Amino acid sequence: MKTHTEYEEMLPFYAAGGCTSQQKREMEAHINLCHECQTELTMWKAVSMEIDTSNKTISTPSDIPAQALTRIRASKPMAAAIRQSWQLLKAQTYLIQSELWPVSALVMLIGVLVAVIARKDVVVYLLSPMMAAATLSMLYGPDHDPANELTRSTATSPWKILLARMSIMSCYNLLLGLIASLGLLFIVKPEMLGTIILGWVGPLAFLSSLALLLSVWWGTGIAIAVTYGLWLAQYISFKSIGILMPSPVWSNFLTEYKNFWHEPLLLVGLAFFVALAALWSANLPMLRLSSSIQ
Amino acid sequence: MITNAIQQKRKWTIAMAEPCNDDTLAIRLTAGDETALHELYAEYGKRLFAYALRLTNDHAKAEDVVQDVLVTVWRTAYRYRGEGRFIAWLLGIVHHTAMNAIRHTSIAISDAMEDTIASNTLPPENLTQRNMQSEWVKQGLESLDSDHRAVLELVFYQGLSMEEIAKVCQIPLGTVKSRLSYARQKLKGILIRQNAEEWR
Ligand SMILES: [Zn+2]
Repeated sequence: MKTHTEYEEMLPFYAAGGCTSQQKREMEAHINLCHECQTELTMWKAVSMEIDTSNKTISTPSDIPAQALTRIRASKPMAAAIRQSWQLLKAQTYLIQSELWPVSALVMLIGVLVAVIARKDVVVYLLSPMMAAATLSMLYGPDHDPANELTRSTATSPWKILLARMSIMSCYNLLLGLIASLGLLFIVKPEMLGTIILGWVGPLAFLSSLALLLSVWWGTGIAIAVTYGLWLAQYISFKSIGILMPSPVWSNFLTEYKNFWHEPLLLVGLAFFVALAALWSANLPMLRLSSSIQ
Repeated sequence: MITNAIQQKRKWTIAMAEPCNDDTLAIRLTAGDETALHELYAEYGKRLFAYALRLTNDHAKAEDVVQDVLVTVWRTAYRYRGEGRFIAWLLGIVHHTAMNAIRHTSIAISDAMEDTIASNTLPPENLTQRNMQSEWVKQGLESLDSDHRAVLELVFYQGLSMEEIAKVCQIPLGTVKSRLSYARQKLKGILIRQNAEEWR
């Protein structure tokens, strides 16, 4: 049971029509019994009408938005561009599937634990590019976009959105990789840290941009299957292939293929061009169409 | 007649409370869509301007404030994430901007300004319809200072809840209550005096 004072506090809101139906019923029951509230209700209604009447005559200037836009356009283009990019990044961070953040961190944590327990730092080397490829393949498309409809209706071109998301996610993946590498300090000497980081950073860059490109064209499933296939193919043993195809060409190829994954500069360079291709593809009308039908 | 007006007003408040794609509007602003700013102004401009005018008591100043508000909204639309009503978020920016503007110029609201506003509030054709009662309301409202008047404006014209008002004015909930209570007492006092004069 509320007190008269509490009803009295709610009375102006009731008079303004801003109560829920439940509050309204309670209020009306009290007003019927309370003479003071009846008087005050009449007063508030008169106040409401007076305020409405006085606002009715206000003439709103029509040119304010145009003036504001002139000012917005006149602000320094560089500063505006930086601010706009920053806003885009923030907005897109919010739009990326929220599960991606904790899940990938958790997988990396388990990876580090396994690596430390088994005393095998190769787990982090293997895992961080795979994790990155998976997250990047889930950045775009209606299945992965809680606000896809909204994104679609905005004037921001798809490639900018993709670039923003790719940058955010890649930074996060790099950070996870670095933290995971630090976790390896339990089992490796500090001077090994640089080698370990250089080991995964190239594959991470290349595989994640490739996953992005493939996901734009053919969806997440294919992107993950292809990138994981390529990544794990370096562990095909020479002997088993040798039995099937006893040719020196193949064994040379496999050696070269294995070396390819240990060329950080080459991999990062390739990653750059693959990412460019992904961004360019995001703007192709046919791909946007097919991803909306999916 | 009063109840009729209130009912109309209620309908209007409910219609305004509906989410007229506010989320989309905010996202489009973030993305740099200029038409979104025009749409926002078409939708809320009158209410924003009315509140700015209430706080500044000066037409030109209110115009500057609303212009500043639109620029701020353009730059910070990404911060609005659908929590709370868009209009409340916008009015919060108006309040902040207007308060800064007043502080910077340190303009005291002169009686002359109050008078011009008061005399402008009434369309002449309505004058005859208005009874004595509206006179004391007008007097009562004019006797309130701008803090209390602003809270009344947010309750009745803008249709905000107590929590929304606290957010817009950046004051604790208790202060909203005490301002309303102060306004009530003052208005009631004038009403009683008025009635006493009528009975005499
Ligand atoms: Zn009561």
